[in-house]
Amino acid sequence: MTTLLSPKDRLLRTLAKQSVDRPPVICPGGMMNSAVVEIMKETGHTLPSAHLSWELMTALAADVQNYTSFENFGIPFCMTIEAEVLGSEINYGSLECEPKIQKEIFNSVKEVNFLPQGAMSKNHRVAAVVQSIYNLSKINSDIPVIGSLTGPLSTAASLVDPMQFLKGLRREAEASHRFMDYVCDHLIEYAKLMKDNGASVISIADPTATGEILGPKMFEEYAVTYLNKLIDRLHEMKIPVIVHICGRMEAVKPQIAMLHGDALSVDAFVSLKNLKSEISSVTTMGNLSTYLLEFGTPDKVYLQTERLLADRIDIIAPACGLSTSTPLDNIKAFTKAIIERHG
Amino acid sequence: MSELFQKLSDAVVDMDEDLVEELAYRVIEEQEDAFEAIDKGLTKGMDRAGKLFEEQEYFVPELLMCADAMNIGVEILKPHIKVNGLREKHKVVIGVIEGDTHDIGKNLVKLMLETSNFEVIDLGRDVPPQTFIDRAIEEEVEIIMISSLMTTTMDAMADVVTNLREQGMKDRFKVVVGGGPISQGFADKIGADGYSKDAANAVRLCQKIVGEVV
Repeated sequence: MTTLLSPKDRLLRTLAKQSVDRPPVICPGGMMNSAVVEIMKETGHTLPSAHLSWELMTALAADVQNYTSFENFGIPFCMTIEAEVLGSEINYGSLECEPKIQKEIFNSVKEVNFLPQGAMSKNHRVAAVVQSIYNLSKINSDIPVIGSLTGPLSTAASLVDPMQFLKGLRREAEASHRFMDYVCDHLIEYAKLMKDNGASVISIADPTATGEILGPKMFEEYAVTYLNKLIDRLHEMKIPVIVHICGRMEAVKPQIAMLHGDALSVDAFVSLKNLKSEISSVTTMGNLSTYLLEFGTPDKVYLQTERLLADRIDIIAPACGLSTSTPLDNIKAFTKAIIERHG
Repeated sequence: MSELFQKLSDAVVDMDEDLVEELAYRVIEEQEDAFEAIDKGLTKGMDRAGKLFEEQEYFVPELLMCADAMNIGVEILKPHIKVNGLREKHKVVIGVIEGDTHDIGKNLVKLMLETSNFEVIDLGRDVPPQTFIDRAIEEEVEIIMISSLMTTTMDAMADVVTNLREQGMKDRFKVVVGGGPISQGFADKIGADGYSKDAANAVRLCQKIVGEVV
């Protein structure tokens, strides 16, 4: 390739399985939020305020891109918005600590109070994210904005007490499916707002949807069904989708191959090299250990990143959520290993 | 062994709450020993469910349903236990560390420990490091168990051990850590006494710590 691709073209081409000059190095936000304390202290654009204000969210996302050199803007910085809109109580956390579900609003799938469509577009936190996506897409049109979404099962288990929810998947299958459909429809509405306002890619993280928790049968019946429902609708809107699956995946390899996502992002202990040979069609994303990013040295990070390159991973990214105390120098070594080597 | 106990054990493994209920009442009617029915029937069934979980035949939903079935039987049989049949329980305190509200793993460990004759003080989720220590002292437990699913909260886990050391209480309690991002290496690094990769192993580890070899 003679001309250097823009970061946006590179990512979109990779997701479309077209040739590129080198892999993109990204961090999608949401579960994989890279707004580390060091950056926020330097710039004064801080969490938790930036979870609620579009001005601050835009400024912080731009700071993160600028300081880390990740080749994307990634927002929001948490996984609580979807559940908040649908009723759960949220604790916004602190500078160091990400927001979390304080209390799931329902005790069982049978108690769920179904909100009408349109709930997402009326919510102030959704509005902050969507406005921020719009602004970021105008700051630099060469850099893709990734809208991060909490997956269907994780959102569901943030609305109904997780233990009751998991039992309900077997005991109350019909009610569980109705509930999952409901959750999915709202997620589709939220993702559409992201896409319509300038997001180039949607990234779905669904940490409750693991093989270890669900086993192959439930993973297929619920995780695959509803992730694919969501992905299919996003594809109709002509936007590519990254899916992040947590855990070791051994129990659910055949089910993973059924996912319709354009790239599959995985945890650090999964060998993406093996995965590529097992599922030939997969576009791989990952998977630098976030433990190494926090506790390692820039040299070690650089070396490990070169291994990901050697393994021909399609999209280079952290393997999981970053600790907010991750040193900026380590993140810089990570992105530098990709960008510098290729000029 | 009574055939009823085997049936109770099977009903737990089969997640059949109605059958457990029916069998538990039959134990009482037929004047079988209630403690043995729990120990050799219900608990045995839960042990088998735990093994199936380890072997990845059962997953979290199945294990939770087995536990529900077991608990229905325990509630029915408990009032009929002769007092001398009770063993002394070992006490542990358990919780999800501050910053993290993912408690599926913690709840599984709690459930498996309770079925193995431990008394579990559950601090819930999002628990500050010092609270683990304060409650451990208050409840006079033997083991502090800390769970975390998020890499972002691993530092706070280390604080529990550090605080214990600073307060001169490192030898008084054993600290066991677990959860998705945790490894034996991390446990060693922060000076925890044990690491367990899953709920079944957590039970064996705790039994070893309190000297109840199985």
